[in-house]
Amino acid sequence: MPPLPVITGLGFITSIGNDRAAVGRSLRELHHGFEPCTFLDNPALPVKVAGTIKGFAFPSPNWRDWQWPATHAIDRETLRGLAPHGVYAVCALQQALAEAGLGPDDLTDGTTGLFCASAGSPYLLGQFLSQMYASRGERGNPMGIVSSIAGTLNFTLATLYHIRGAVCGFVSACSSSSHALGYAMDEIRLGRQQRMLVVGAEDMNAESILPFHCVRALSLNPDPDTASRPFDRRRDGFVGTGGAVALVVEDAALARRRGVPVQAELLGWGQAGDGYSVAISHPEGAGLREAMRRALADARVAAPDIDYVNAHATSTPAGDRSEAIALKAIFDGGARPRVSSTKALTGHGLSLAGAMEAGFCALAIAEGFIPGAAHLEEPDPECADLNLPRTSLDEAPRLVLNNSSGFGGSNVCHVLRRPA
Amino acid sequence: MESRPPAPAPASRQVDLDEKLRHLPEAARAAFRRFRASGAAADLDGVIFAILEDFLPRRTEPASRIAQLPGDTALMDGLGLDSLAITEIVFFTEDLFGISITNEEILRVRTIDDLRDFIRSKVAARQAG
Repeated sequence: MPPLPVITGLGFITSIGNDRAAVGRSLRELHHGFEPCTFLDNPALPVKVAGTIKGFAFPSPNWRDWQWPATHAIDRETLRGLAPHGVYAVCALQQALAEAGLGPDDLTDGTTGLFCASAGSPYLLGQFLSQMYASRGERGNPMGIVSSIAGTLNFTLATLYHIRGAVCGFVSACSSSSHALGYAMDEIRLGRQQRMLVVGAEDMNAESILPFHCVRALSLNPDPDTASRPFDRRRDGFVGTGGAVALVVEDAALARRRGVPVQAELLGWGQAGDGYSVAISHPEGAGLREAMRRALADARVAAPDIDYVNAHATSTPAGDRSEAIALKAIFDGGARPRVSSTKALTGHGLSLAGAMEAGFCALAIAEGFIPGAAHLEEPDPECADLNLPRTSLDEAPRLVLNNSSGFGGSNVCHVLRRPA
Repeated sequence: MESRPPAPAPASRQVDLDEKLRHLPEAARAAFRRFRASGAAADLDGVIFAILEDFLPRRTEPASRIAQLPGDTALMDGLGLDSLAITEIVFFTEDLFGISITNEEILRVRTIDDLRDFIRSKVAARQAG
């Protein structure tokens, strides 16, 4: 039997919950994670809502001031090298490893790798560079670079867990952690690694989210209950969020030998570029359509067999429409899988999004439900043909498609399956 | 990093020091205030031990216990500090005492006593200068 990557551990630090049980409840009951937010102490900013991470506080760049839930222990030695999203990531990974029944000694023999995705910490990088400018290069926090640049997650987590397998970070904006998961699947399928830890994370602060206001991508709707409404006619942009999600992916044979439950199988994945615009998705969703086609082909699954699609749809006017067109092109033979974008509840987690939503898909498979299309009141006519359930359904999906798209038209899709 | 002239003392210096010191225990902050008032080297230890405690990899050894440790306890092998933590300590003490430490000097500081003696000599040289 060729290796089959399966998910055996899930960890969540998200706007809709800081553990698996809370996240599952929010997805079933469609509880969003949004709160009113004043960015940069500036009430004049029209961006008023964010998907906040509860139970954490990062009031200064100094780690000595940081707070996180007492349920998670983090040594100062580790903390010194972390960005805020690294703190989320350590907590999420602790949860995922516990669920997979893995201790620190199980990860160090070279058969376990680690793929991560984040944009780095613009917050800490800004602080670090300000210190350098002020001292004209004579002074800088020695931990400034490892804690702030893209790659900080893999540097710090690989060190913390003494990972001696493949260690890498992925940078493709909002498809970054989808790439990390896809290539992690390949590491296992190619027999290079028996187990991969996949972690996506982002800071939840002005420095990570407000730059998207500069490209007019953020919702200006001040109402947390309606600001994020993918596929709705009145959607006006995305709501930003941060957090971390960790997935333990291992070969099915190893999971069987260890006697741990499989949450979901990872059957295949695909990617394709739009080759169109640096920031805006192709108007017909050409790259996403091709990425879905390739993922289905890799998984040897026919489109009509897909039960649920976790859409990328971020609640921007252009992006949701192009994804709807791509979905209709793939599912054109009368098959209409359930479709929802859980960003209606979480907000858009940027580099975190793909892994977060793969985690949600695994939860839906493991716990037998389909997340509803929250906050949808009046579908955009272009999206109206999609099968968008207004509430979560007690239907156990067997085959699930997870979509992600990033800047430059970088599209990635995964196919997940319920274990037999 | 090349050696550089002693750090200037701009008007904002006091604010920076308050920010740097606010995480240390009150006893250490009081020792630093006494040192600033009197220049007495005897008050340095209370500050140095608290700084070391602040950079320990895990919160296990309170500063009072560090003071009890043998002076020849190695910063890396004994206290578990890594080279980046030692660099942070060096930057911290440079700012705190207005002294300047070169890379070559950092490499010679291996034990608790090395650090104490080194800071004392640097501070004395600055006071003399």
